Amino acid sequence: MRTYKLRKSSYYFLMILLLPILLSACLVGQQWSDNYALMDGVKANDPVIIDGNLNTVGQSQLTKGSGSFDLDRWQNSESIIKLPEKKKIFRVTIHASNLQDFQLMALNTQNKWDVIHDQQHNKAKVIDVRLKRSVITDGIKLLVRETTDDKARRHQNVKIERENEVTSDGQVRKGNYVYKISGPLTVPAQIAEIKLFGYDNASQ
Amino acid sequence: MNNRNLTLQIKCRKIIILLLLAVLSSLIIGCAALQEAQQKREKRMAEKRNAKQFLLSTSKAAINVNANPLDDKPHGESDHYTLKFAADLQATDDFDEPQERETFANSALVYMESLYDEMHNIFGFKPEHKIHVTLHKLFQGSDSHAITGTQYQYGNNIKYVTGIEMHFPMAMYEKHEVRVHELTHAFTNIYFLPTWFSEGIAVLMQREYAKGGMFSKYDNLQLHLKKDLNGMNELENWGGHGAGGPLTQWRYTYAYSVVSNLRDKYGNELYIKVFELMEKDQLHQKLIGAMPTSFLVYYFSQAAGTDLVPFFEKLKFNVRKLEKTDILEYIRQLNTQNQRGH
Repeated sequence: MRTYKLRKSSYYFLMILLLPILLSACLVGQQWSDNYALMDGVKANDPVIIDGNLNTVGQSQLTKGSGSFDLDRWQNSESIIKLPEKKKIFRVTIHASNLQDFQLMALNTQNKWDVIHDQQHNKAKVIDVRLKRSVITDGIKLLVRETTDDKARRHQNVKIERENEVTSDGQVRKGNYVYKISGPLTVPAQIAEIKLFGYDNASQ
Repeated sequence: MNNRNLTLQIKCRKIIILLLLAVLSSLIIGCAALQEAQQKREKRMAEKRNAKQFLLSTSKAAINVNANPLDDKPHGESDHYTLKFAADLQATDDFDEPQERETFANSALVYMESLYDEMHNIFGFKPEHKIHVTLHKLFQGSDSHAITGTQYQYGNNIKYVTGIEMHFPMAMYEKHEVRVHELTHAFTNIYFLPTWFSEGIAVLMQREYAKGGMFSKYDNLQLHLKKDLNGMNELENWGGHGAGGPLTQWRYTYAYSVVSNLRDKYGNELYIKVFELMEKDQLHQKLIGAMPTSFLVYYFSQAAGTDLVPFFEKLKFNVRKLEKTDILEYIRQLNTQNQRGH
C-alpha cells in the first residue's frame, strides 16, 4: 500500500516536471514561415520595401490629396503590400529609420482595412510586431501617423508672422500673429523592408 | 423466366450505374462551374481593390552602382536605365557621402525598373534604348520642372530614336506620379506623337494609374475649349513641356480630358490598339517632323471602330478624314522633296 502511494506521487511529480518541457517542445516546434512579402506576385505601392534588400530604402506614399492645402498639409502616408493569396499572418517586421507613430491594418473580406496593431512613441529602427491575434488576409497596410522627421519639417514650413494691416492714411497697424504654412508638414517614413510571417506550414 | 429476370437485373444495374455516372459528372461540372464563378468573383474583387492603388512588383533586373564613378560615367546602371547625380545635387547634405549616393541609386533603380515592367505590361511595347536619368537639385533653375527628351535622327527616309534622357529635380522625382508621367513619355515618344496627345496620355497615366492628383479633368470639353486667333484649338499650338505661359495648366488639363473622354467612350484598350496599329504600319517613322493630328485620328478611328474626325472637328482641331493612300501619298511627297533638297 505504501509502495503504491509512493508510485502515484512520483507519477504526479514526473508529470509536473515534464509538462513545461512538453510545452516548450511544442513552441520550439513552431517555426516562422518564409517572408510572405518575398513571394512571387506580391505587389507594393513602393516595390523597394519588398525587394528583400535591407540596403535599399523605399518610402511610405502620401495618400491622395484632396486638392486643398489646408486639408492636405497633415496628410498621412502609407505603405501597402498586396499578396497574391490570403495568408495567416502572426508577425510583421518593419525596418524603418524614422517611424514613430503608426498603425498596421489588414484587408478584410469586405475590402475594408481593419486595424490590427497600433503603436506610438516608437524609437526602434527594427520594429518586430507579434500580433495578439493572427490575421488571415491578402493585404497589409502600414499607416504612418508621425515620423521623427515631421517636427523638423513643420519647423521648416511653418512660420508665425504678424498679419499687419495698412490703414487708409498709410500707417501700418500691427495685426494678430498667424501661422504661415509654406509646404507639407509631414515626411514619409523611410522603410528598408516590411516582412510578413506566419508559422511554417509543417508546424501550423 | 430466370434468365429474363437476370437480364432485367443486369439492365437495371446498368441504368443505375449510368444514372450514378450522370449525377457524378453533373456534380463535377457543377463544382467546376461554381469554382470558376468563385475565381471570377475573386478576380473582380482583386481588380477592384487594385484599382484604388498603384501597386508594383519588384523587378528582377540586374543593378550595378558606383558611388564615385570616373569620367562622367553614371552612378548606377540597370537593365533599362543609367542614373546620374548632377553636381548641384551631390553638393547637398543628403548626397555628399558615397554611402548616401549608393543607397539612393540602388533604391531608385529598383523602383524605376519595377515601374518599367509595369508600363511594359500596360502598353505592350517598350523603347529599345536605355533611359538615361539625371537627378538634380534644380533643373534649369527650377525644382518643379521634370523633362523627358527623346533624340532621333532621320536617314534613308526613316526617323529613328537614338537616345532617351530624363531630368528630374529631386522635388519632382520624389513624387511617384511624376515618375509615371515621365516614363510614359519615354515609352510613347518612340511614336513621335503630337504634343497634345503625348502630354494627354502622360497625365492620364499619372492620374488614372498612378492616382496622382496634380491635374483635374474637364467634364464638358465644349465649355472649356480655348481657341487661337485662327479659331483653332489652342492645344494644336503646344510646343511641349518647356512651353510655359498662362495656358500651361489649361493645356495639360484639356489634353488629358480629351484623351480620358475617348478612353471612357471606347474602352480601356483604345490607346493600346492605336499603338498596335501604328507599330504594324510603321508609318510614323516615315514622317518628317511632328505627327499631324489627322494622322493620329486616322488610327484613333480604326481602333474605336468609328470615324472620330467629327469629334475632333467639333473641338476645333485642324483635322480631315484620311485614308491610308492619303498618308502614303503624303509620305511619298515628303521623301521626294527631301531628296530634291539634298
